[in-house]
Amino acid sequence: MKDIHELDIPEDLRFAKQHEWVRLEKDCVRVGISDYAQNQLGDVVYVELPQVGQSFHREEPFGSIEAVKAVSELYMPVGGEIIEINSALEASPELVNQSPYEKGWLILVRPADDSQTALLMTRKEYIDMLKGLDH
Amino acid sequence: MSERSGKWYFTDLPTMDYQTGWDLQKHLLNLKKEDKNFPDVVLFLEHWPVFTLGRRGGMQNLKVSQRLVRQSGIEIIPVERGGDITYHGPGQLVGYPVINLPGNGLKVVDYVGRLEETMIRTVSGWGIIAARNDLNRGIWVENRKLGSIGIAVKRGVSFHGFALNVDVSLKPYEWINPCGLKDASMTSMARETGGPVLLSQVRIAMRRQMSRIFKINWQSITLCQLNRLMETV
Repeated sequence: MKDIHELDIPEDLRFAKQHEWVRLEKDCVRVGISDYAQNQLGDVVYVELPQVGQSFHREEPFGSIEAVKAVSELYMPVGGEIIEINSALEASPELVNQSPYEKGWLILVRPADDSQTALLMTRKEYIDMLKGLDH
Repeated sequence: MSERSGKWYFTDLPTMDYQTGWDLQKHLLNLKKEDKNFPDVVLFLEHWPVFTLGRRGGMQNLKVSQRLVRQSGIEIIPVERGGDITYHGPGQLVGYPVINLPGNGLKVVDYVGRLEETMIRTVSGWGIIAARNDLNRGIWVENRKLGSIGIAVKRGVSFHGFALNVDVSLKPYEWINPCGLKDASMTSMARETGGPVLLSQVRIAMRRQMSRIFKINWQSITLCQLNRLMETV
């Protein structure tokens, strides 16, 4: 497993406690799981995503990821409506491992209100949280 | 972040139906999701015969009709754990650790690996040499599967767990492709040793190995005490 300094944690993203990342794109946000999350889960074999048009609150489960006989729930980093899902993951769930920030993105969300992204962590805050976990 | 106490509660339970064990786990899970300081609890038990399906299903790996299965008095229950179809029955040691993974410094892959290691060391006490297979998790004696793993993680809390075949009837496995694998056969400790293996002894060995591998101490509590603990929260 990777050490913290080997992880790819991009500067331009925001992070949630359960290891989801968020990228601001015009009036919507793209969501995926971090390099840390994919690395600690192991080989992803299945991704269950919501339907386009569904709405969820912040921190509500929106899907799940299965790896090494373990199903982990995914949580909304911000509340809002699902406007697109990454349908490539149906045939190629391993994209979550191979390219967690690009090809392995999960959902595109129209946030219910703009203020929620301010609650997310910066790169530095997220790395500090990871250091706390890695004891 | 809660402090790592290094102490897990342990409750030895008798044979029970699947639903009862599942409800107990979900109750513990909910308490742990709400209260970070609620203790980590491991349950050991056996189930009355049942087939369960993983999150992705697995009904296509049932080789006989659902009607035949139900007529024989065995239920088929879809659950939220990872993995495919499997069988549980008397003579199989089932363990449900309802524990906070980050709270114990555990990553998901780590955790699955340590559950495998616990089973491998346990069966070695009976002279059985089992190994991992990175493609198909669980523990194996050559191409025969001896122990299985299927977990689910919600807000950092893991539930479901492992199933180790001690002297379980292997007949019901003929009705399925266990874990969705077509070429795998199932085995048990009794079959591998060619003699009787006492489940009560395996419970003790498994518990001892688990405390070594996870570097924790047990605090044993009875079901009554566990129920009281769940009520007082």
